Amino acid sequence: MADNTPLDLLKLNLDEKIHVKLRGARTMTGTLQAFDSHCNIVLSDAIEIIYNLTDDGTLESNERKSEMVFIRGDSVTLITTPEED
Amino acid sequence: MSFFGFDTTLPSHNKAQQNAHSSVTSNDNNNEILDFDDTYKGYGEYEEEEGDYLNAETFGGDVEIGTDFDFGHSNQSEPIVNTNRKSYVQAATSGFGNGSNKQTLPNTGSIATVNLDVSVDLKPMESLWGGSDASFTGATTNAATNTTTNAATNTTTNAPHVLSMEEIERQQRQFQQFNNGHPPHQGPPYMPPQGFMPPPQLPPQQQNQNAGQFNQPAFVPQLYPNMYHPNQYYQQPLAQNPQSHQQQQHHLSMPPPINVNPISLSSPNEQQQQSVVSASIPTNVTSSSTPTNSATISTSTAIPLSSPMLETDLHKTPLSHTASPMVSDHPELNMSVNAIPTPPIHAPVMVSSHSPAPTHQQQPPQQQQQQQQQSQGRSSQRREPLTPEEQKRLQIRHAKVEKILRHAGLMTPRDKDFITRYQLSQIVSDDPYNEDFYFQVYKIIQRGGVVGESNKGLIARAYLEHSGHRLGGRYKRADIALQRMQSQVEKAVTVAKERPQKKNDDSLNSGNGSGRDGVLGKVSTSLNSKAPRRQLTLPLTTSRSGSNLADEDINSPGQLRRNSSIGGALQEVTESLDNVDLNAKTRARRRSSYALSSIDQNFVLTRSGGRKFVLSLIESVYKEVLELEANLRSGKEINNKELWSALHVDDEFYEVSPFISMLSFDKGVKIMPRIFNFLDKEQKLKLLQTFFSELSHLNIIIISSYRTNPEPNESQLKKIDLFQTVFLKIIVSFLSNSSNFIEIMSLLLHLIKNNNVAFISTSKIGLNLITVLISRAALIRQDSNRSSVLSTPEISTWNEIYDKLFTALESKISNIFPPKEYIDKINQLSSQSANDNNNTNHTNINNKNNNSQSSPMTHYYDQAYIWQFLASLALSGKLNHQRIIIDEVRDEIFGTINQAELLKEQLQQKLAMDGNQNTAVSDEIMYRREKLYQDLNLFLNVMGLVSRDGEITELK
Repeated sequence: MADNTPLDLLKLNLDEKIHVKLRGARTMTGTLQAFDSHCNIVLSDAIEIIYNLTDDGTLESNERKSEMVFIRGDSVTLITTPEED
Repeated sequence: MSFFGFDTTLPSHNKAQQNAHSSVTSNDNNNEILDFDDTYKGYGEYEEEEGDYLNAETFGGDVEIGTDFDFGHSNQSEPIVNTNRKSYVQAATSGFGNGSNKQTLPNTGSIATVNLDVSVDLKPMESLWGGSDASFTGATTNAATNTTTNAATNTTTNAPHVLSMEEIERQQRQFQQFNNGHPPHQGPPYMPPQGFMPPPQLPPQQQNQNAGQFNQPAFVPQLYPNMYHPNQYYQQPLAQNPQSHQQQQHHLSMPPPINVNPISLSSPNEQQQQSVVSASIPTNVTSSSTPTNSATISTSTAIPLSSPMLETDLHKTPLSHTASPMVSDHPELNMSVNAIPTPPIHAPVMVSSHSPAPTHQQQPPQQQQQQQQQSQGRSSQRREPLTPEEQKRLQIRHAKVEKILRHAGLMTPRDKDFITRYQLSQIVSDDPYNEDFYFQVYKIIQRGGVVGESNKGLIARAYLEHSGHRLGGRYKRADIALQRMQSQVEKAVTVAKERPQKKNDDSLNSGNGSGRDGVLGKVSTSLNSKAPRRQLTLPLTTSRSGSNLADEDINSPGQLRRNSSIGGALQEVTESLDNVDLNAKTRARRRSSYALSSIDQNFVLTRSGGRKFVLSLIESVYKEVLELEANLRSGKEINNKELWSALHVDDEFYEVSPFISMLSFDKGVKIMPRIFNFLDKEQKLKLLQTFFSELSHLNIIIISSYRTNPEPNESQLKKIDLFQTVFLKIIVSFLSNSSNFIEIMSLLLHLIKNNNVAFISTSKIGLNLITVLISRAALIRQDSNRSSVLSTPEISTWNEIYDKLFTALESKISNIFPPKEYIDKINQLSSQSANDNNNTNHTNINNKNNNSQSSPMTHYYDQAYIWQFLASLALSGKLNHQRIIIDEVRDEIFGTINQAELLKEQLQQKLAMDGNQNTAVSDEIMYRREKLYQDLNLFLNVMGLVSRDGEITELK
């Protein structure tokens, strides 16, 4: 199979958990259901973490779960496999 | 150094010369010449004759170490082998000859002369055959007398050789008679006296022809001993007859004979052989006795004839125009010669064949004389090589021959059959030590040495114990020895059959089909492989660098990753990506896994090519499946070859089959049913074999075992669930629909042999898999009990496999019950997930969520699978197996009963406390109690027990 483009690499992780970094200090972890050439991504069982730097300099994070989520490709900055739990 | 300048010890040299010579002399006759290539080419080079393989058996027993007695050493130089053969033949044929004489030769009148010096060698045979070997010496004696008369004209020493035509003819006739009347036997290895082999018999007519023409090449070798053997010749000083010698050499009228002589003489085998004989023979041989000697000697040379015969044959050809039709007969003749000990009769014939004249009858007296001179010359040549050193050698040889003869004929065919059976049965024995006849006897001998006298009795007893299987033997075997043998052979055959199949599979289905099956210590299916041998697992060091990699597409990212892990330069990257334990990066390949190294999933992945590689494989599998499904829909031809290769089921390149690693991914598991749609039965079987072989590497086993994963998380439970619903289902349906008993056994064997069964049984999935296999096997057995489909070997093989399984589990059976903490953990997780997802875990994962009430009571670990396993284990086992099982799990049985009774109390308490309010809860408690008993009884029923209300009673 032709797996020599970056998106082909992404294809390997279909149905696998991936970790996506997004603009606006967010990350999402979930099972990759679909993607396209614009890096639009559909995740299932996703956990979104929103980081927020408070005024006193500490980092807080909010977690949000969603059963299925669509991520628009232009906000994706990084895709990787999640750290093993 | 021969007179003719031939080195008598170098056959090849002589041969060369001989060949050269023959080509010269036979130029004009080219058309009719017997073509060397067509007739005897290469005969001399044969190191082993057909049927020789029993030699070692026949003679091996009493060979002293260091006697240089090289039976069975096929790579010996040819001459030596020949000599051996000679000596053997001598031994063999002499016996045979005696026997045959008794039977066939009527003219045994002159027995008196018998045995003079038939040499000590033959004595044993004599006893065997009633010492009647005299019969045909009588015939030769006649010849001898004739010879002597003829010899009168010559130097006295030659006397015995010179046979008159009448003599020769008579002998020939006798031989013929002999030949016809007696079934010659073919191979030296067979016991000569028995003469089992129906040999090719010469048509009498042809024999007559041969006799008349005297150009039977087959007899040539026999000629030699006859002519030269007596010691007298050797002892004759060369100087005695120098003239005749020279004359002979220069005699133009008979070039072929001249050549023949030196050659034949020079053949070392011949020489040795003769010398052996001569050693045993007193030097002062009387004329009458000489023929007798020669008779025995010639018998001894009957077989080795190969090279000398060739040579003589060549030379003879010019003479034998008339004999040209006989070319085709040569092999036959040879055989008969080999088989029949009567050669002495032929010897004179051969002499005549050397003469220049086409037949003896036409030979003028002068020529005869010349011939005699020749022979004298030969004898003088003969004498030369007999240096003290050689004398010594001869003596040694003689001693060997004696030794051989001493035990010749000791074993009856039945004995041999017995030994063969033992050797065969060793191959398939369950109990290699106790059934090893040799070992047992050896043990006794060893022991007896210490104890003292009673050795013989012990050995006899051991023999009886082992041979007495017909009566049950020591081990009270119910099966008759013959049946046992048959079944064992059948087993052996099955094993043999299975092996090439494997190889085919390998070469067909994988690029690098260097099957591990053939590798030492890795016999995969062998029902016969015994524990001692099986322990040997050779690490296959497959270098991942260089040519192996070159085969792969290096551009692909997956390959790059792998490349990096190999290259060393990029190791760091790999490490960070994979968390690979680099120390474990030993490429030593050990596919038989004892799980603990497989706990780290990433490590397993790495060993099967890396995560990306496996993922890409899954992608290609999906692609193939989609394609096939499309083809199926559009009615196109379906070719699963691509799919099969994408599965990498028997990919030997990786330590862990990539197929196994595919099953680590959910999507890999999910695709399996669709894959199975397109595989044929054999492929399925192979796939499952791989699956069971490498079960320990299977991620799902690791995470479903309380040992390696004492605290499973929710996603892992989901995985287990998925695997069970998807893959286990496939296996069950495959087993119940299309597999036969043998296949199930082979799968189970794969599992047992390559895995740590005790570990696998601690995982729910593993236990389920084993249960599926053995219960299916038990079912088939029950079915076939009615219709008796299963053959005895199948049953016994099954028992064997079951024993292995049981041995692996024995004393660890209670370990299949997970500890309480593990159960609690799972219950807790199940409750959570039940709360979260409202029944993510279904009944098949055994975490029952009968209702979504969040009381912790609702979720409990269903141990039904354990009882199922125990039930099927007990079902297949015998009574003692069942006893062991019960012994080991007794605590669990009572624990379960207690638990059930506890539930009852709880229920009563609850009812007492809050009346009738919570029916759901009480219902559930009732149900759980029922369930506990139900599961437990599944097991107990197998043994005819039942447990109710805290009591265990017999099943009615």
